[in-house]
Amino acid sequence: MLYELINLKKVYGRRTVLDLPALSLEQGRIIALLGPNGAGKTTLLEVLAFLSPPTSGEVRFMEQRVDFRGNGLIQHRRRVVLVQQHPIMFSTTVGRNVEFPLKVRNAPKPEREKVVEELLHLVGMREFKEAKGHTLSGGETQRVAIARALACSPEVILFDEPTASVDVENQIAIERIIGEIRGRKGISVVFTTHNMVQASRLAEETLFLFEGKLARSTYENIFSGRIEVGANGDRYCLVQSSLPVKVRAEIVGPVRVAFDAGSLRISRTRTERATDTSLQGRLVQLADEGARVRALVDVGIPLTVLLPTQEFKALSPAVGEVVWVTVPPEAIELI
Amino acid sequence: MAFLFDSLLSACLLIWSLDPELVNIVWVSLKVSFFSTLIASIVGIPTGFFIFFRDLRGKRMVITVLNTLLALPTVVVGLFVYAFISRRGILGALDLLYTQRAMVIGQVILILPVVTVFTISAISRIDDRYRKTAMTLGAGGLQTALVIFREARFGIVAAVIAAFGRVIAEVGVAMMLGGNAKGFTRTMTTAMALEYDKGEFVLSVALGIVLLAVSFGVNMIFHRVQGRARI
Repeated sequence: MLYELINLKKVYGRRTVLDLPALSLEQGRIIALLGPNGAGKTTLLEVLAFLSPPTSGEVRFMEQRVDFRGNGLIQHRRRVVLVQQHPIMFSTTVGRNVEFPLKVRNAPKPEREKVVEELLHLVGMREFKEAKGHTLSGGETQRVAIARALACSPEVILFDEPTASVDVENQIAIERIIGEIRGRKGISVVFTTHNMVQASRLAEETLFLFEGKLARSTYENIFSGRIEVGANGDRYCLVQSSLPVKVRAEIVGPVRVAFDAGSLRISRTRTERATDTSLQGRLVQLADEGARVRALVDVGIPLTVLLPTQEFKALSPAVGEVVWVTVPPEAIELI
Repeated sequence: MAFLFDSLLSACLLIWSLDPELVNIVWVSLKVSFFSTLIASIVGIPTGFFIFFRDLRGKRMVITVLNTLLALPTVVVGLFVYAFISRRGILGALDLLYTQRAMVIGQVILILPVVTVFTISAISRIDDRYRKTAMTLGAGGLQTALVIFREARFGIVAAVIAAFGRVIAEVGVAMMLGGNAKGFTRTMTTAMALEYDKGEFVLSVALGIVLLAVSFGVNMIFHRVQGRARI
């Protein structure tokens, strides 16, 4: 096992940002960590990179218990590397930035020069070797940061939102590089993203984090709402203060409501059981994910629906078409 | 007015002729200030790093005290060191009083807070991603500190220059611990005070011109370095 986290907690002040009773990550895979902003993804990556100690709990790395206060931490750290969401270049040339990990490991100069050339070629930045690191664009910086990380010859590479702030061209290049890292070098890769499509495209395993905890669903459709009691005594959730959805709830008052994208259904006509809610909206986006099709429907709020490919083919809805989204109670989770 | 012009003209001639006494005074001033700044930098810069990066109890209090010490009056430092190195002091046997070494000790105490506080200030302006990047790329504690030093170098150099500017222009420590002995511990500021007392304005004005030139040069460098730090 690559990592085992046992009863791990990370607390800042009074706020628990990570609470993971048990989490295991397998070696040699590409693992995606999905979750909304503030879910604790970056904090988890910093713990996995041994940059930030957990407040409590245990981290095991390659079957070894990690002592965050011990002298051996640097040995663990040298097997793992983190590429930050907004990587920063040292105020020197691109070549020297990539050379840095080799220098701190006392690699001989000829080897350093060879590795720098190879890695800059891998990320398509060879011609920038003598350029100042600070003069690169966001996408270029991200690519050089990947080359710099690979210079560490890591066993694990952690990416924090690797394509969040780059253009499409760089996004494609970075995704290609991540694939190559895994394919050619056999390095385990863990990356965070809130892009479901990217996660399903790149990752062999996907984990969902929500409010610092592992979640069973993707929590794609999360909204603020308020549980109210209707005239007939039924409870419903007023989503985003405007959209009433029938719910099974004991409580009344403000809540966070999540709609499981896989449990929602699309139809051309209104079809609902007494306990369901039907919402009319316009289909605004479709994306093929292999076994499933991701549909985005604007029902006053943007709702993502995951349809099995067979079901999608049978329905064949067109972008721009007005459809009905059926929300069964089992698709709703109150958080 | 004629008196001022005459003094200025005579002072300029004195500088032009490289008067031996004047040269010696300038040399002593620069030498003592250089060594004080050097020692304060060797101690103060790592101290700044230590205070900034370590999770110390009472860290805020330490920084507040250091900030307070920035305004330490030179005569207080002079008096304090005098209590230790005078014949009756616990370090009296070392015979340090009225030597250049005594002046250096006093001046180091005077500018150590300057170097430390300005170093802390320079590091605190550096993006924390530098530290995390260096660490994740495999750098040890010292290697990480060197990365931060490199990124904060303009701010740190500015701290050193500011410290030099403070000692080159101070008079209290030099007078109380150096004793203003001709040819040994007479600095530009103590000589100016003495010549003023004697009513000998020419040397005083000449030294004033040199001191102003040195201060101006130091400030020029300081602003250049600060300017680069902002780029």
